[in-house]
Amino acid sequence: MADRRGQRQRHMITRNNSSSSSSFKSHRPSNPNTNAKITRTNKFATVNPDNNDNIDDPQDIPNLVGTCPFMCPVEERARRERLRDLAVFERLHGNPAKTSSTLAVKKFCRTISTNNVQASDVRPVTVLEDTLNYLLNLLKSDCHFEVVHDFIFDRTRSIRQDLTMQNVTSDQAIHMYERMVKFHIISHHRLPNCGSPNQIELHILFIRMKQNSIHIMCFSISVPDNQGESLSQWFRRVPFVIMKSKEMCFARRILRYFRLGNYKQFIYTTEAEASYLQYCIIEPYISEVRALALYCVNYGGYKLQPYPLTHLSNLLMMQESDLESLCIDCGLQTSTDGIGKVLLSTKLTDTCNPKRGYHKYYELVSERLERLSAELSEL
Amino acid sequence: MAAYMSMGEAHRQITEYLNRFSYAVSSQDGKSLSRLLSISSSSSSLQFLADALNTFQDANRIIRQSEKCSQYADILVPVFRALQSYQLRNLVESYLALKKLPTLLMENYSAFIQEFRNWESAWALEALCVIAYEIRILAERADKELASIGKTPEKLKGAGSFLMKVFGVLAGKGPKRVGALYVTCQLFKIYFKLGTVHLCRSVIRSIETARIFEFEEFPVRDKFTYMYYTGRLEVYNENFPATDHKLSYALTRCSPLKEANIRMILKYLIPVKLSIGILPRNLLLDKYNLTEYKNVVLALKRGDLRLLRHALEEHEDRFLRSGVYLVLEKLELQVYRLIKKIYIIQKQKDPNKAHQIKLEVIVKALKWFEMDMDVDEVECIVSILIYKNLMKGILLTSKVVVLSKQDPFPKLNGKPVTS
Repeated sequence: MADRRGQRQRHMITRNNSSSSSSFKSHRPSNPNTNAKITRTNKFATVNPDNNDNIDDPQDIPNLVGTCPFMCPVEERARRERLRDLAVFERLHGNPAKTSSTLAVKKFCRTISTNNVQASDVRPVTVLEDTLNYLLNLLKSDCHFEVVHDFIFDRTRSIRQDLTMQNVTSDQAIHMYERMVKFHIISHHRLPNCGSPNQIELHILFIRMKQNSIHIMCFSISVPDNQGESLSQWFRRVPFVIMKSKEMCFARRILRYFRLGNYKQFIYTTEAEASYLQYCIIEPYISEVRALALYCVNYGGYKLQPYPLTHLSNLLMMQESDLESLCIDCGLQTSTDGIGKVLLSTKLTDTCNPKRGYHKYYELVSERLERLSAELSEL
Repeated sequence: MAAYMSMGEAHRQITEYLNRFSYAVSSQDGKSLSRLLSISSSSSSLQFLADALNTFQDANRIIRQSEKCSQYADILVPVFRALQSYQLRNLVESYLALKKLPTLLMENYSAFIQEFRNWESAWALEALCVIAYEIRILAERADKELASIGKTPEKLKGAGSFLMKVFGVLAGKGPKRVGALYVTCQLFKIYFKLGTVHLCRSVIRSIETARIFEFEEFPVRDKFTYMYYTGRLEVYNENFPATDHKLSYALTRCSPLKEANIRMILKYLIPVKLSIGILPRNLLLDKYNLTEYKNVVLALKRGDLRLLRHALEEHEDRFLRSGVYLVLEKLELQVYRLIKKIYIIQKQKDPNKAHQIKLEVIVKALKWFEMDMDVDEVECIVSILIYKNLMKGILLTSKVVVLSKQDPFPKLNGKPVTS
């Protein structure tokens, strides 16, 4: 029994060699997170009930229920003490070879196979919630965000792993996922180069979460980077109720402005309507859109009539000095015309390919967003 | 349908079938063999056979006793079982029978596949294709049945992996490989139905890059189906030149009598053609019942942005489900060619000044179409249009766009609007 489930959840592509076995596995490489059970209730009204777009796993195998009462299983704790494999936050009095049950947190293990897993190594949902509370509380400590972030990133991944292994889909679990996603969004905002959760993981989270579509936005805009599936394919499967939700409609509008190159509305609507979390997700694209705006103005302008930067900076919602720097970043020329700084038009076509992440980000001038950032809700 | 059949008659029916089977095999008659295996076809001869099996109950004995057919017992036993189950479904709606059916077929058709591997030439290919088809159809129906009683539908997924195995059998040197495209198309249908479209990639890669496959060698019908599905995949990837090529290929090879097929192709081809500036006539839309595109086309002709957005909203579900929504959304860029109309009107009034258009005028025109945009946004849009070469001209800081005297609105000429 555990055998079949383990095989489904491993990273391997399994070939069904024996022709007499009656359990057939599909040929896609299975990711431990994608095969978690998705609740088959009628909470989602799908667009076409006949099409049965949702993919489900057989429900006849009983779920593993963890029994480990600590944040870290006893065996792992002893092993890591021996190997001196303890993170800074796990060390008792700074001792790299000693930890305690209140400090050690289970690590994420990439090669885990549910074949050999013991219930005593897996934490039940209540323990996982306590662990998550503990981890997110660390954010309030004085440590450098970067250092804390890596630790929390890894340990929350382990929490998700435990949730998946036990096939938990309760509201409690969903709430935990939401908090973890929030953490990722905000940490991504603060540390643009930090790792982000696997796209597939996020995708599954979205399908589960009915209400908060912040993460859906995250996915929808960053999909051009996604290797697995195109946005159109994904839209086919999103339940109707979510498609029509306020957040999703906002996301789709922003996406439309982005795809059409309507830089004015993209920036304007973000500033006026995005929640802080939504803004965090959109932020990386603002530079790209601004750069596009510059190239457009540059290309379509008249060389004897340079474009005043003041007006442009209002349009792009940035400080004029920042705009000047952005012009330089984009390889465009500015000058002064007596009244103020202006952008020269040179009909450049070669450099006109704004790439994501290529340009430094300059703050969006917005009282509203500043206020929201200060009011940032508890994780 | 005879509900009652005498034992003698039943025995005769069964023996008759076995004779036909062994004859088909020994004379390498692919067509006949396929007909004998088309379980879901509900042909009258198969229905009679099913009745006979139900009457006689111990058909296996007959198989074993038959000189010619006992060697094919491995194949025949499950076929009989499958046929009986299928027939029972008609009478008793028993999901159990259906549920076991695909697994039965898969378990024991593996043996058949083994046999097939040994048969020299590819004459049994047609039969194999029928089996592939039957497996998919039966799995689909079994899943429906399962879903309706609240159980997990997983048979189609299993059918998918089984057919991958079949594909493997065919993807080797030798004349059998010609059947690989048919199985590929069955796989496409399964993956599209399940929504696991990304699984198509590996099969496509095998077909398109493996040196053993020569695309032109495949039967026309299979090529046509293949191009249709791969064309649809390209729509998702917004790869318009490829989509146009593949779907047009399918369209030109489709029999004009198969209206349903043409409609399916057009459903995906039209958005792509719209994107490259080619508009279908209303006659076409009416003929193939694609009226959801009518307002889209009208909006493009009029330059009416509001109508376009409304048309998209009206059929939002349909467009989202078929995956063309985002393609259609991008047509907004073309609709801004409303500016061209303004240009034409101005030309009539004063040809000398026609190429200078005040942005305010565009704002007003948009207001007539109930679109509320300020001058900044119009300026933004105009500069995007110029940047993407949909319009040729210069934007002055005095909020006027001066169109190029020559060809200010270049034809798209089959080239997609660059993103």
